[in-house]
Amino acid sequence: MVGVIVILVAIVLFTFALYNSLVGKKNQVENVFASVDALLKKRYDLIPNLVSTVKTYMEHEKGTLTEITELRAKAVSGTLTSDEKVQLDNKISKMLGGIMVAVENYPDLKANQNFLQLQGSLNEVEEQISAARRAYNAAVTDYNNAIEMVPTNIVASMLNYKRKQVFEASEAERQNINVGQLFKN
Amino acid sequence: MKTLSEIRELYHSVLLPELEVLEGQRKLALNNIIIVASIVFPLALLLAYFIKDFWPMLVGFFIVAGAVAFISKDYVRNFKTGIIEKIVHAVDEKLNYSQAAFIPRSLFSASEIFRHKIDRYRGDDHVQGMLGRTKVEFSEVHAEYETRDSKGRTQHHTIFRGLFFVADFNKHFKGTTIVLPDTAERLFGGLGAMFQSWNKTRGALVKLEDPEFEKLFVVYGEDQIEARYILSTSLMKRISDFRKKTNKNIFLSFKGSKIFIAIPYYRGLFEPRIFRTIIDFAPIEQYFEDLQLATGIVDDLNLNIRIWSKQ
Repeated sequence: MVGVIVILVAIVLFTFALYNSLVGKKNQVENVFASVDALLKKRYDLIPNLVSTVKTYMEHEKGTLTEITELRAKAVSGTLTSDEKVQLDNKISKMLGGIMVAVENYPDLKANQNFLQLQGSLNEVEEQISAARRAYNAAVTDYNNAIEMVPTNIVASMLNYKRKQVFEASEAERQNINVGQLFKN
Repeated sequence: MKTLSEIRELYHSVLLPELEVLEGQRKLALNNIIIVASIVFPLALLLAYFIKDFWPMLVGFFIVAGAVAFISKDYVRNFKTGIIEKIVHAVDEKLNYSQAAFIPRSLFSASEIFRHKIDRYRGDDHVQGMLGRTKVEFSEVHAEYETRDSKGRTQHHTIFRGLFFVADFNKHFKGTTIVLPDTAERLFGGLGAMFQSWNKTRGALVKLEDPEFEKLFVVYGEDQIEARYILSTSLMKRISDFRKKTNKNIFLSFKGSKIFIAIPYYRGLFEPRIFRTIIDFAPIEQYFEDLQLATGIVDDLNLNIRIWSKQ
């Protein structure tokens, strides 16, 4: 009788442990996703500064600058679904990359202290975003492994936990990295 | 950065005359050492024979070892000012060399790479200066801890001996990230990774996506995102390459906007020969290579790239 109780208690405790580790992994994913979001916002905050610094120099990119300002306003309005967010973010990344390449045609701008500082901050945020995405992917992989591997998969199916998607480096992102490379001095 | 052929030129034009003078000092020191040894060892042997115990031999050995250090002190000092300092300046004239100084114990401990309590800490051959836009310093360091055996005798055990390198890192960060050689995973594979994740004293395990880097190193960090911000995909590749180039276990940490690198050596660095002639290019080449390994870290890890807000 005592033996049966001991076994039952052990099973219950074991299930609790599995449950807790799963919840921990799920929260870790959400936690890191929030960081990605915060960093994206940090980048959006740099855009108005960047636009106001470069617009006096960049004659031919006036259209792009207006467009990026509009996109940024849309991105921070907070009415978007996460899919739309990602899409918009990709678009902004691509445009920022374009602006940074166009800067090459404006030697005065490249010597502007204010701009150089902004460029540094922007590169930094890009790198942080990429780090946060990698952290997110690591957390998702950890979580996905847990919900597919024995024995956590049993608890996961009871909780109805589903696989999560990892970030994939889009074409625009790969370009971003190249843009950063252009400015190494 | 100089090439080996330039160092060879330096050897023939500048170092050789100096080495010839120093060779005289070395022979003199060696003669004195031989005299001391030929008095101490027979005496020790005789004493050991009469009292039928081994300890006089040990004492004799320590006396001779002490005598070697004492007798060759001036020769070593002259050698370092005459030769090592010139090689350091040949590598980069902006570097400062100080033969007696070393990385302070506080800085060594602050790196958190080795966490054993230090009882004895020594070092020499300190080099510091700016390499491009990066401030670096390094020296030979020997950190030890003490134990006492049942008879109350003190024994010293090495925590770390080798080259300790500190440089200003090119990105800002707040927390601590530690990169250690991955012995567990190399021995036990996936099971090793599991054991590592249980080691909570080092902070959380950071699993990185570069399989080659993961095989060589294990990373602990206070912040998952910051650890990846520091260890960008390109830096991971560069660290793996550096590890393969040196073919040594290397230990790294990132703390207080600095990068710390510890490279163990089982031989002394930048020490002159006593028992063999110094009129030889081979040891000079060795000093140069050891130096270049350290100064080359800046390029190997691309520390001069300042595209982020930190200048």
